[in-house]
Amino acid sequence: MIDLGVVLTKNPNAAYRVYDGQATVVLPERSEVHVLNPIGTTVWDRIDGRRTLAQILDAVVEEYEVAPDEARRDVLAFVAELREHGMVT
Amino acid sequence: MHAVEAELGRSRLVPELARDEGHFDRSREPFGTASIVLQFGSITMRLDDLSRRQADNLARRYRRFIISAETDPSVSIAFRRAGVTHFLEPRRDGTPETYRLESRRREGDLALWSYEFAGRLNTSSGGAELALVAETGELFDRGLENFLRALTASLILEQGGLLLHASAVVRGGRAYLFFGPSGRGKTTVTLLSPGDVVLSDDLSLVVRNGDRFEAAGIPFGMAHHRIPDTNASFPIASLNTLLQGPRVLREPLSGAAAVAEIVASLPFVMQETGQSGRALEVVGRLLDEVPAYRLWFRKDPSFWTVVEEEAR
Repeated sequence: MIDLGVVLTKNPNAAYRVYDGQATVVLPERSEVHVLNPIGTTVWDRIDGRRTLAQILDAVVEEYEVAPDEARRDVLAFVAELREHGMVT
Repeated sequence: MHAVEAELGRSRLVPELARDEGHFDRSREPFGTASIVLQFGSITMRLDDLSRRQADNLARRYRRFIISAETDPSVSIAFRRAGVTHFLEPRRDGTPETYRLESRRREGDLALWSYEFAGRLNTSSGGAELALVAETGELFDRGLENFLRALTASLILEQGGLLLHASAVVRGGRAYLFFGPSGRGKTTVTLLSPGDVVLSDDLSLVVRNGDRFEAAGIPFGMAHHRIPDTNASFPIASLNTLLQGPRVLREPLSGAAAVAEIVASLPFVMQETGQSGRALEVVGRLLDEVPAYRLWFRKDPSFWTVVEEEAR
């Protein structure tokens, strides 16, 4: 279970660019390309080695006007996917 | 919320360093003193220290791309006898393996090696060296063309272009690119275009020419791919990712999805962070200027009616 107090860092080898509000992320070491949807891009963009996951969650709730419980569930699931794919630590 | 919406290009290249890391530092014998110069798209390649026989054979094979030896090249490649039987050892237990090509970049040096060759490029000087385990035959051809393909991908990226896993057909003076993984129909599209100039049925060069992107073929057909009909380059009309379907249909492809589809069709350069970041930039610029589509097609020439509709 991921703690909301955790501070995440992007994989330094990941290359990414945001096009029309969606990020394309390339992981050279895995030869993988991922496309993130706008909310995923908001989360990815804010993962900077300084913000806590709780702060990122607040930004999502504010920006997308979603219920906090729903946002927490989805953001935690998304971050688990990012971890699984080696995109963040 | 499905934040990770798509995963593309998940082919895996397992990094495995050659046992003899010192094979780039050994002094090696040249094959001879002959040279040839090739030009395709915006790249000029000088192949030096070939034997007379190698030079004659290559000049015949790449005849459409041979130019005067006085031309200043983008890269000069010194050919060397490897003096070893292999650089990467094939598996001996009989289990099938995909062709392995390893790479390493240190400062301005790009090193590439596989079973039959070890090569390196100094990106600042444009000097390169290629050691091959055989002087002629299949091992020579495979090592040569695999190295030159990977080298081309790196060089063209430095120039603001791309080597794309795509076929390219010229109609009305403009190039139409068709990309996608093996089996999607890249070769089929060229076979369904018998009256047209085919630049490639496999790997196409996207080059920056002044203020526009153009497409060209590359000469390295690996024996089973078509050698381009010309070494000229042509303005790109559209980029089309191929899908086979019961009827012909085209829909615009844009944004991050378009970037991801094209990035997943870039061989050689997506295994290294610096190059993949650069490739993302170039793909973004390409998509700003050239329309991209998903194209469903069936195996007859009717797709051209849709493809040639005025873009955007």
